Amino acid sequence: MLAAFFYETWHQGVRCTRRFFRVPANWISIIFFPLIQLFVFSQLFKDIIQLPGFKASGGGSYLAYLAPGQIGFTAFFAVAWSGTAILIEYRNGYMDKLRATPIYRVSILAGELAPLFLETAIMAGAILALSVVLGAPIKTGIGGVLVLLALSGLFGMAWAGTSFVPALLTKSEQATGTLSLLFFPIAFMSTAFVPQSLMPGWLQSVNAWNPITFLIEAIRPLMVSGYNWSAIGKAVIAIAVLGVILQSATLWAFRRLAA
Amino acid sequence: MSSAVIEVADLVKVYPGGTRAVDGISFRIEPGELFGFLGPNGAGKTTTIRILATLTSATSGHARLAGFDVGTHAADVRRRLGLAMQTPTLDTFATGRENIEFIGRMHRVPGAELKKRTDELLELMGLTEVAKKLAGAYSGGMKRRLDLACALVHGPQVLILDEPTEGLDPQSRTALWEELERISRQGTTMLLTTHYMEEADRLCNRIAIIDNGRIVVEGTPADLKAGIGADTVTLQLEAPGPEDLARQQTDVRRLLEGFVPLEGLTPESFGVSLAVRDAGRAIPDLLRRLDGNGVRVVGLSLGQPSLDDVFLKFTGRHIRTEAANEPISLGWY
Repeated sequence: MLAAFFYETWHQGVRCTRRFFRVPANWISIIFFPLIQLFVFSQLFKDIIQLPGFKASGGGSYLAYLAPGQIGFTAFFAVAWSGTAILIEYRNGYMDKLRATPIYRVSILAGELAPLFLETAIMAGAILALSVVLGAPIKTGIGGVLVLLALSGLFGMAWAGTSFVPALLTKSEQATGTLSLLFFPIAFMSTAFVPQSLMPGWLQSVNAWNPITFLIEAIRPLMVSGYNWSAIGKAVIAIAVLGVILQSATLWAFRRLAA
Repeated sequence: MSSAVIEVADLVKVYPGGTRAVDGISFRIEPGELFGFLGPNGAGKTTTIRILATLTSATSGHARLAGFDVGTHAADVRRRLGLAMQTPTLDTFATGRENIEFIGRMHRVPGAELKKRTDELLELMGLTEVAKKLAGAYSGGMKRRLDLACALVHGPQVLILDEPTEGLDPQSRTALWEELERISRQGTTMLLTTHYMEEADRLCNRIAIIDNGRIVVEGTPADLKAGIGADTVTLQLEAPGPEDLARQQTDVRRLLEGFVPLEGLTPESFGVSLAVRDAGRAIPDLLRRLDGNGVRVVGLSLGQPSLDDVFLKFTGRHIRTEAANEPISLGWY
């Protein structure tokens, strides 16, 4: 039974990955948006690094501080509209075609979600490479890169629920796109641009619960200083909790739609 | 255990909101048959098919496919079923070959056999040359054929096709008909729905006319048409003015008095139209009666009853007039 589930999820995952990477626009927007952010903000806020409290967390330049934040951002954006793909196949009848084959219905959903790990990790990797080219450090070397990509990929899979739940509940691509905007402030409130110590008190409280902040705070040391296992552990827990909550909701919404 | 491949008894589907899409349908399809559901949009054809394909549950009644109950043995039903829906459903970002192979894998067709089977189907459907192109770039006819290939990849015992030629140009439609006839000759049992009379007439060895969720009549196309009775003979009359036309029409009525095969006469703007039993045989005698009596026949046409006449007889409506009233479907209900 489990073997059948993995077989189906694997092939459905390969199909979904192919479907994603064969749309050139997916590459363009996902890579260029963080790139522009990385380039523009590293120039715009160049001198912000002079503020007291920045030196400790930054690597000496604002680019070094910003780059890990942009990787977190990329993981966020990589899956911001991920729920629309399953919706398109629901609407055009392809999901019915799959439902009429002798497979577990949950394999359809699992096959959509699993490749998001790869998609997110690849995109995070692209931004990482570009940051390094622009001069950001990567202190922990190849080992740190792997941890960074794994954390980003896991975060992408978990966070995808914020797109899948509205998609499956509203059955509307437009509604899914509009609702995803609601999550954007969560990314902008994170420590991508400014360290927590420089934020107003209430924002600091919010960030104590912000999953993107947990991700960024785990990957920043990997780039600017060294392994911070406590931060990595917190990020893994945050991603796991987030994943369980969001994916349970996704599974519920999927069963409601396709059972 | 019966021999029927599809067996449906008292099937009812009531959607939330109270619509009775299927209202007590029963029928049997024997092995090797090509059975057609003929009816206007919204008649309940698609809902019946969705129940048989395990995509929707019935409110009450029974449906068995290959001996398995569609409600309780869905996986057994799915393994034996090939399904092609009203619009081709393809992964548009996968190539033709990838589309077929993916569905084959979901049906657990073993690797080597899958390759061979995919090659055969691509060849059969005339898609070998475009096998490496994305399905999204295919023409309408090619998408249909690819969809059909996907439905056939696991060698299903039963093929269910919902409006298989909807939206195709006449050439593609004829080509697909030939394809379906060939598949049927190879022994696959088929159930198709259509609202094209010609399609039901040409393809199906048995049809059920379905309207408002019920089967109104069932039989072979020939029997159903024979049940209508009279053929239609239209006579075009040459007349200089309306008075002259009226006089000729009265003359025709008088001259044909006592003509046994005649069952009805209707004056028309172009002449008259007659309901005549076994018109092929009766026409020479009919024309002899009219000849040389001031009736100037300049055109004659003979119409045999169509399935539309059958539909009209049993429902009181023409099949096509309903199409525009189809409600927009927003989801799965």
